[in-house]
Amino acid sequence: MATIDVQGLTKDFGETRAIDNLEFQVREGEIFGYLGPNGAGKTTTLRTLLGFLNPTAGTATVLGADIRDEAALREAKADIGYLPGELSFDEGITGQTFLDYQAELKGDDRLEDMLDLFHPPLDRKIREYSSGNRQMLGIIQTFMHDPDLVIMDEPTGGLDPLMQERLNTFLREERAAGLTIVFSSHILAEVRRVCDRVGIIRHGELVALETLETLLEKGGKRVRIATEEPIKDGAFDLEGVIDEERVGEELHFTFAGNYNDLLDRLAEYTIIDLEVEEPPLEEVFMHFYGENDE
Amino acid sequence: MSDILKYEARRRIRGTMALVVLLGLFALLVIYIYPSVEAAAGSIEEWLQTLPSSFQESFAIDAYTTIEGFLASEVYQFVWLLLVGLYLVYMAGGIVAADVETGRIDLLLATPVSRTRVIVEKYLSLLVPIAILNLVMPLFVFGGVIAIGESLAFTDLLLLHVFSIPYLLLTASLGLVLSVVFNRADIAQRGGLALLFMLFVIDSVTTGTDFEWLGAISPTRYFSPIDVLVDAEPDIAGAVILLAAAFALLIASTERFKRADL
Repeated sequence: MATIDVQGLTKDFGETRAIDNLEFQVREGEIFGYLGPNGAGKTTTLRTLLGFLNPTAGTATVLGADIRDEAALREAKADIGYLPGELSFDEGITGQTFLDYQAELKGDDRLEDMLDLFHPPLDRKIREYSSGNRQMLGIIQTFMHDPDLVIMDEPTGGLDPLMQERLNTFLREERAAGLTIVFSSHILAEVRRVCDRVGIIRHGELVALETLETLLEKGGKRVRIATEEPIKDGAFDLEGVIDEERVGEELHFTFAGNYNDLLDRLAEYTIIDLEVEEPPLEEVFMHFYGENDE
Repeated sequence: MSDILKYEARRRIRGTMALVVLLGLFALLVIYIYPSVEAAAGSIEEWLQTLPSSFQESFAIDAYTTIEGFLASEVYQFVWLLLVGLYLVYMAGGIVAADVETGRIDLLLATPVSRTRVIVEKYLSLLVPIAILNLVMPLFVFGGVIAIGESLAFTDLLLLHVFSIPYLLLTASLGLVLSVVFNRADIAQRGGLALLFMLFVIDSVTTGTDFEWLGAISPTRYFSPIDVLVDAEPDIAGAVILLAAAFALLIASTERFKRADL
């Protein structure tokens, strides 16, 4: 049985449909990336899965519990770790007091392990925490009770690159140990680094459900080339080149083809500047998942 | 049924201590003034007779210049009924709404606890201010009365505090209802202040008039410090009504909270 099984899940806020007839499964032991631009419905999905919001239609099971069944879901929550996208604590207490309270509510079997990896100043009041420290405290509480399923809403926000990498490494190790992880993000690169499969949500609808390989193929890169001599028209007419445009002396395009072919062509020129970078998520949607209606 | 209560209760202690000291000092100040009121009893009573009848009721008109009447009017009628009532309605107004508004509720409800437990235990944490205020305040008042050489039936004073508990629970329940109805804490809290103050005023201004029936919607109608302290006649039926209403509102809030989108 799937760890999370989403069946026609729909949630309206008044007139607005936040998520629309979602269907997907998260398998045991995988890291599932839940990708979409801000406002697409990621947080609504995750908060509905945790029972904070009542579905308008459809349902889901999480660790076998129907999310509409409060008692069943409550029992399942003993084995779920959750990291909210917008972390909010009682500001007047220390990190230690917060963790003590959480320990009473759900246990702290893995607290020591977590404190070895992440060390916010526990004796200080949370009010004085930097955003990185708050995020670390959030991550500690997510894993402290040794959950079987972890749901993280934009987990790397506020973390410096070093801590981000530490979190990613930790997630990979946990996956190897059998943990199932749902990881939402609006940043493609972030999802690429750790996820096995990716669900892409846009305007409340699931527009794609891909393995990481497929996503990498489709995602492409933004390429910017500046050369000493002018680039001839059609010089970069390679397979996988889209949206070619000249910006002054530079050539810009999105590239989803074979890098060796690209390098062969580049070798014919004297390169002054070259950038190959992640395209913004919206651009990926536009190119690979159809319409851009904004 | 204890982790949440323990946590919430502990967080209420400090604020309650500050409040009780403040109110205690206020009571001492009022008591300190009493000898001069007693000395001017004749002219004060004459002046009170000129007030509209509804005011006279809230001032224990027949007994204002006795220590019991003076305390009931100046300390309990206003500080206890109004100020402490407002404090509780305000505190209760933040119970759910503040957690939902900030998103703090997510970290609590992500743990294996039921919504019923969350709201009931948070509500019960208001027993901390209710208990501490009712235990400490009579000591200030009684001590003050002794200090100025007056006497007061300590049992009547205790009775007054015991009978204030149903009233205070009801104000807490009122705040709780607003706290689950509104998702913004400041609306729930300020709305609670306005509502309780309005009810207090309605009861005060209609007393002794043709519109006295209107005051029946106010919780202040069912608990009179003056009746207890001056006449030693607590309103037992009123206390039962207040308790029942407090309980009913707690149930209603819980039901709503259980179904709410957070």
